[in-house]
Amino acid sequence: MNKNVLIVDDEPDMCWVVSQIIQLQGLNVFTAYTGEDACFKLSKGDFSVVFLDAKLPDMDGLDVARRIHTMVKERPQVVLVSGYHYRDDPVVRNAQEEGIICCFLAKPFSNEELLSILIALSS
Amino acid sequence: MSENPTKNSFEIQYEMLLNAIPSSVLMVDRKLQILSVNENFLIKSQRSKDATVGRPLAEVFPLVILQSTGIEESIRNVFHTGIAVKGQKMTYRAPGVPLRIYYYSILPIQIDQIILIMEDVTEQFRLSEEVRRVERHLASVVESASDIVLSTDIDGRILTWNSAAEKLSGLSTQEVYGRYFFDFCDLSQKQMVQQIFQRMKTSNAAHTTEFNLLTPSNSGTILISWVFSPMKDDYSKTVGTVVVGRDLAERRKLELQLRQSQKLTALGVMAGGIAHEIRNPLAVCSSAAQFLQENQISDDFQKECAKKIQANIQKASAIIENLLRFARSSLDTEMVEVDLISVLKETIDLVTNQAKVQKIKIHLSLQKNNIVVSGVQGLLQQVFMNIFLNAINAMPTGGVLSVAINTVEDRVIVRVIDTGVGIAAGELDKIFDPFHTSSPVGQGTGLGLSICYSIIRQHLGSIQAESRLGQGAAIIVTLPLL
Ligand SMILES: Nc1ncnc2c1ncn2[C@@H]1O[C@H](COP(=O)(O)OP(=O)(O)OP(=O)(O)O)[C@@H](O)[C@H]1O
Ligand SMILES: [Mg+2]
Repeated sequence: MNKNVLIVDDEPDMCWVVSQIIQLQGLNVFTAYTGEDACFKLSKGDFSVVFLDAKLPDMDGLDVARRIHTMVKERPQVVLVSGYHYRDDPVVRNAQEEGIICCFLAKPFSNEELLSILIALSS
Repeated sequence: MSENPTKNSFEIQYEMLLNAIPSSVLMVDRKLQILSVNENFLIKSQRSKDATVGRPLAEVFPLVILQSTGIEESIRNVFHTGIAVKGQKMTYRAPGVPLRIYYYSILPIQIDQIILIMEDVTEQFRLSEEVRRVERHLASVVESASDIVLSTDIDGRILTWNSAAEKLSGLSTQEVYGRYFFDFCDLSQKQMVQQIFQRMKTSNAAHTTEFNLLTPSNSGTILISWVFSPMKDDYSKTVGTVVVGRDLAERRKLELQLRQSQKLTALGVMAGGIAHEIRNPLAVCSSAAQFLQENQISDDFQKECAKKIQANIQKASAIIENLLRFARSSLDTEMVEVDLISVLKETIDLVTNQAKVQKIKIHLSLQKNNIVVSGVQGLLQQVFMNIFLNAINAMPTGGVLSVAINTVEDRVIVRVIDTGVGIAAGELDKIFDPFHTSSPVGQGTGLGLSICYSIIRQHLGSIQAESRLGQGAAIIVTLPLL
């Protein structure tokens, strides 16, 4: 298991929050502000977990997840972090069933919850 | 007529003439005996000559007539004074004949003879009754109308003023009669109204306009939609003006309600984008607050958290403020100086969230930083909001929304261009119609652009669309510069 985590959100403060939560876990944290940038970074590097915003300026978060699904050989675990969807949103459920994302976290979230997801995914 | 051979040719001619006259002619002597009558009288009264000539008046005329007209007394008077009596009215019914109406004159012709001439005016009388009836009917039509109907002379002095005019203005006919109509208009519009009357003198066409009528009783005004029409005489010469006015208050109220409810619909459309945009700063605040609750944190980090919290609360509140400003009922319709650029910027801020959600880029290109028009800020914002939302709807898979503002002479032209689905040629002239929509049932009402149209017209501007199917669309709004 590698120690690279990618945070994809067009809101710099959101990236700051997530990286603050996970920084003590001894991981390498990278950020991407657009869907294009995320796809590029994912195709180059090796990531174990991606925290992905649902609405990016250029792409839908789920489209990024779909691209990763087909494009990257060593597939990272994708956590959809969104204020646009709600927990039992059919769109979210379908994506989970398809295996495009592994879990969903609604904004705003508790830091505890995000951390436990990360720990569960990296064990 | 007797064939008396002793009559000379003059007498015969005289008798022929008398009989040809379409009036009844009777000669009466001092004893009120009938000396002679013409043919016409015998026909009208259904009498024979023998039963008439040589008989007293009282035997020939029915008693009721004698009593009601006092004709015997009048004749005696004429004998006495020698002064003719002219144009008296008499209604006469011969047995078996409908009522007839006569005008009669009593003329002295000799010392001991008068001539009684009776003219049948039944037909004329009936006609004038008819004219009066039609006149009364017309008057009651004008009086019963709930619209203001008034007429003026050629210079605009009020001649008639119906009860709707009295009711709406609070001014009675006596108060306005003979006064210039423009004296009852708002001071700012007086000159314009004066010009309309001037135009009526030579024009054949009606003139439609809107302006305020003074209501001195409550020292206010009411907005009226007016139609001025020139009034012509039989020779097509203009003799005055007819003015019809309708109270617009009720219509304005409905229009306001419609605009307001359409605005709320637009807010509903934006709800998704708003949710996303507000939850981001909420998430930052929430997490930063959780950091602050942890035990061993550095002073610097503590400060950083507090700063983030404050900044993001600010962000969320700005989004809400924009929304509030848009949702706030723009019941004020007073036209004031408005900076069009800031209206456009604020409106763009409002749709940015929605645009981002749909991967739409927004470009704003400006020539100047400040363009002033006369308008109602809230209404103009509603116009551009509707146009932007339409453009966003037309680009479900993303695209570019460009807003270009140019000033040309005394106008400002705002072009809103999208790269969306476009509009088919046949649809293009329908998009401003109310209820014309391509949205699925329950999603669009089709009122957006029709409301834009009415608002822009209220601002004395124009709105047009250019598009081709599959090639995006441009909505072009033109407004007069202040
Ligand atoms: N930029 C555009 N691109 C393509 N079609 C458009 C555009 N703007 C308007 N239209 C067409 O014009 C129609 C009428 O627009 P309008 O804003 O009046 O109603 P609507 O958007 O359907 O409903 P709503 O009342 O919610 O605004 C739309 O349904 C759409 O078909
Ligand atoms: Mg619309």
